[in-house]
Amino acid sequence: MPDRIQKPQPTVPGPGGGGGDGPRSPQVEKPNTDELLKRMRKVDPDQAKRYRQRTGQ
Amino acid sequence: MDIQFGTETEIGISRAIPENLDVVAESIALVRSATAPGVRMRWDYSCEDPHCDARGFRVKELLQDTDEANYFAQDAQRTLTFHEIKSDLVLRNGARFYNDHAHPEYCTPECSTLLEILQQDYAGDSVLMACAKALTQQSPNNPVLLYKNNTDFCGHSYGCHENYLMPRTLSWDVLSQAIIAFFVTRQIYCGAGKYGWEEEDKFVKHGFQISQRADFFSELQSVDTMQRRPIVNTRDEPHANNDRFRRFHVIIGDSNLSLYSNYLKIGTTSLVLQALLNGAPLERVPRVADPLHALKSISRDHTWRWICREIGGTKVTAIDIQRVYLQLVKEFCPSLEPEWKGVVTAWEKVLNDLEKDPLSTSDRLDWSAKHKLIEHFRESESLEPDNPWLRSLDLSYHLLDREQGLFYGLMEQGAFRLPFSFDEITCHSLCPPASTRAAVRGRCIEKFGSAVHATQWDYILVHGSHKKIELDLRNLFDANVIRHALKVISAAQSVDELAQLPFAKIV
Repeated sequence: MPDRIQKPQPTVPGPGGGGGDGPRSPQVEKPNTDELLKRMRKVDPDQAKRYRQRTGQ
Repeated sequence: MDIQFGTETEIGISRAIPENLDVVAESIALVRSATAPGVRMRWDYSCEDPHCDARGFRVKELLQDTDEANYFAQDAQRTLTFHEIKSDLVLRNGARFYNDHAHPEYCTPECSTLLEILQQDYAGDSVLMACAKALTQQSPNNPVLLYKNNTDFCGHSYGCHENYLMPRTLSWDVLSQAIIAFFVTRQIYCGAGKYGWEEEDKFVKHGFQISQRADFFSELQSVDTMQRRPIVNTRDEPHANNDRFRRFHVIIGDSNLSLYSNYLKIGTTSLVLQALLNGAPLERVPRVADPLHALKSISRDHTWRWICREIGGTKVTAIDIQRVYLQLVKEFCPSLEPEWKGVVTAWEKVLNDLEKDPLSTSDRLDWSAKHKLIEHFRESESLEPDNPWLRSLDLSYHLLDREQGLFYGLMEQGAFRLPFSFDEITCHSLCPPASTRAAVRGRCIEKFGSAVHATQWDYILVHGSHKKIELDLRNLFDANVIRHALKVISAAQSVDELAQLPFAKIV
């Protein structure tokens, strides 16, 4: 396989985050719950009733 | 740290109109719709053996073997070959993506840092979402729905397994005894939350609990993974040099959407294993009197006080038990790198917050974020606690869809703390971790994919111009050797030049 146009480099952990002080606080102070409630109202109330899976590992 | 880690996540698959859905056919079609770069159907199944038991023997059969044989017979009726049904795809980041019977499964490559595992897990979610989009385009009126969860609320569970590759110097007896109380109690910060109580193959009753998987464990230790699941899985299949390494196969965890929960799950487990490797004595490790009972009672405790009994009868809380492990880590891992010190800090903080006000962790943890969100909705809509809509909302929390999934809705609102910046986690675009053998696998896949004859976690077999070359990865854990190998692969003009790698041999 020839080299692809995009040649991603293996990742190297950056200096930010995960330092000795632990993770950071959220960027937004107060979530907009109205938008989330709208998203939730669109959820089919019977979706879980009709959801069937085979047992996995 | 002497430990590398990775996860294997089985995904639930459905459609918006799921009537008469063949989940196996859907899973196969989903995996086969992937366009991410990699090599397909080159996985070598012949060297897999899940029957080897870490207690020193090989079992004749697993409880699931009969089911597996039945599934195999059913699958034989399909027009696809075994390899086509599996549709294994080894991606250029060194990951494995395939159909595991009835679930698309994404296995991350081996990682040695927590940033890497979060990057690789996120990359897997992106691959899955791209597949769902591609498959939906073929039938836009009935979109594919993928759920990164662990249950269908009817007693059918599927896993998110963790793997910790570690030196074999720690005896199995010590490891398996020392880890039980940790696994029973870590759900207080890495549980994904669930609206419903279940048993194998059935729904029991409505009600919230903090873990998705706790309902499905009925043994302390065994080699099984699909029936009568054990708290400690004894599968002994290192995918590395058996004399030097153990792959501790952990099946008890929930699938986490929250990056913070995932960070804590992998981070604290790695630290506890490292403390045990460093000599933390078994007599100082907490021992729960009835671990199987405690696992369920902690998950289902609506008071969130999480009281259980130690051997001897003393009442303790799950937080007390976690604090003992935290103290052992502080004592026996005194020289941690900053990334791992960050886990210790985050672990201590989350335990303190869970003690003071459990829902104050809803900016970090899946279970508390889910509970807070859905209870807010329930109150605003005046729904009774047994309304089945709550389970649908629970399911939607796990939906792998940035526009519709409730977890992604919370993320979009900035409601979650992140262990690293979002850009750090998401910007790497299917690159393998730099410091593990996955980088060698990924580079070979990317550059010489068409020459790959077969692959497994611990080897790659490629066609040279006149001969086959086997790259033996069983001992490839030295960062300097890996770095040198990457230079050789980058400079190679032809696949034949891979023969000069120190772990290559002509076959």
